[in-house]
Amino acid sequence: MAEIFKLFNPDDIVQGDIQTVSQPIWSENLNPLSGSTTTGVGFFTSSVQVSQSGDYYVNVYHRNINSTSVTNAQVQFAVAYGHRFGSGSYGDPNTVGNNANDTPTRAIYSQYRNMLLPPTDQVFTIGTGVDANEIVVINVARARFRQKIDPGNWELRIGSGSVASSWTGSYRSFIDNSGANETPTINEAGRIFGIYSGSGGVTASSTQFGLFYPDQGVFIFHAGLLRSNLGLPFNSSSATSLAASTTQPKNSVTASMFISGAGYFAARSEEKVTSTHYFVRITNKQFNFSNNPTFVTGSTGTFRHASMLRNPSVYVTTIGLYDNFNRLLAVAKVSKPLLKSFNREALIKVKLDY
Amino acid sequence: MGYLDNSTVTVDAILTNKGREVLAAGGRLNITKFALSDDEIDYDLWNPAHTLGTNYYGAVIENMPVLEALPDESQMLRYKLITLPKDVIGIPVISVNPSAVSFISLADQVTITPSTLNLSGGNSTLGYTAILSDNTVATLEVAPDGVLANAAQNAGTGLLSGVSTGAAVTSFVDDEVTSVTTAGTSITRVGTKFILKPKAQANTSTIVRALLTIIGNETGGFKTIVVTVNPANFLLQNVEPAQPIFIP
Repeated sequence: MAEIFKLFNPDDIVQGDIQTVSQPIWSENLNPLSGSTTTGVGFFTSSVQVSQSGDYYVNVYHRNINSTSVTNAQVQFAVAYGHRFGSGSYGDPNTVGNNANDTPTRAIYSQYRNMLLPPTDQVFTIGTGVDANEIVVINVARARFRQKIDPGNWELRIGSGSVASSWTGSYRSFIDNSGANETPTINEAGRIFGIYSGSGGVTASSTQFGLFYPDQGVFIFHAGLLRSNLGLPFNSSSATSLAASTTQPKNSVTASMFISGAGYFAARSEEKVTSTHYFVRITNKQFNFSNNPTFVTGSTGTFRHASMLRNPSVYVTTIGLYDNFNRLLAVAKVSKPLLKSFNREALIKVKLDY
Repeated sequence: MGYLDNSTVTVDAILTNKGREVLAAGGRLNITKFALSDDEIDYDLWNPAHTLGTNYYGAVIENMPVLEALPDESQMLRYKLITLPKDVIGIPVISVNPSAVSFISLADQVTITPSTLNLSGGNSTLGYTAILSDNTVATLEVAPDGVLANAAQNAGTGLLSGVSTGAAVTSFVDDEVTSVTTAGTSITRVGTKFILKPKAQANTSTIVRALLTIIGNETGGFKTIVVTVNPANFLLQNVEPAQPIFIP
């Protein structure tokens, strides 16, 4: 009897193989993301986005979003500045009383507090008892970090000194403390690691600068410590005093400029992929003939090549995986045609991720 | 000391549209079997006169790059590899009688009888899958004497041949056919003999065509014929008989 299907044996199917896959986090498989005038890659912000929502956050692209000739600029991460009491920006002048400080910076702080802290906790505590009333948030785009950011495998440089038209200042590198075999703190937002000055997996000092939430893709920096240690000129004036001003301070833009100035952000994404492996076993007597119209000549099924009579040779290019109802559910292609004949057997492992 | 055999090939599979549909519907992929194909291979490139001998007969084929897999299941595994006895003298060929169908009367019907050449008893157990490309052109049913023994299990589906019900049908005829309609959906039936009947057409001045593909469920081969409907004389035949009116 002729056959075009072959049943898998139970042992041929290996299900539920979970693998952790890490890869460069940035678009175009960049790691690190760093400035390069040659390739056009770097840290760019959109003037349109800054004018529209820059009071709250600024998106950082890996290519120049403002250039009409660049079509593949993608958001890599967002930078935001939050203040627990609403300082650093002014809000709606019509809000009074207890809501007078309902400013963008307060909204940002509240947003991340609700997301990352337990319900009763009102303030981010950095290290041992250091409350951060003002924070700089780096929020990596979900499409970039996929499931989580790989702890211990990132390094961010933030410039220090002043940001002039051409960057001349130095920088400081930051990493997390997962490399020191610290047991991470766990809360509603998942794992929490401390952010320290350091590089290459080695922390340089005991001063903790922030909190890293790998499962959320969020870095929280103590803005006050960045100001005092690196000289970042965040404006933390009260909302009421700023209301008289005509221009929002836009501390998020300030933070993005110092990140862009240092120009180095290395990180990897981490993803658990469930795979099923199918072992396609083709024995010597199976699948040695083809329905390919070029395999025959004429309309009577005669072999195109007389040498194929009793000694056929065919080539496998495609493997189809079917269910009991013969529905083609998955398909795989080999990288080059695989010769099959009566004196050849083949074993092909088909990996299906989902 | 030799090297270990590294002939095991690992390839990555992608889900087809049907596979995604199953997952999206809350089902699970219950993959139980596989089939192989040699789509994109041209055996005319096989060169038994190669001066370097038998190892080089297929050198050109073996060195060619293979295209990526597509998620459209109707476009993949068109030409399936088949397991046959070593001493066959030819590939099983699906033959369809008649080789073309043309309707000029609404009352006509044609019995389609497939057969398999070069393999005694070929497709006699699992039968054939018939796919009519457009249900607005004609109707397709299994003939009373063409019902399979296991028909209850597969009634009304194209499951035996691996053709998904309702899947778009590719033109498998020798060359392009003009005026093939795509207004409706495909009809799939499984059996050993089929009956075609034309359907009434809104525009009686236009000849419409559909494709009928017959696939051998055991051999994997197929044959496509053209079904033509000329409705020029349908108008009078399409008048429904008047229903009697009962007045209490």
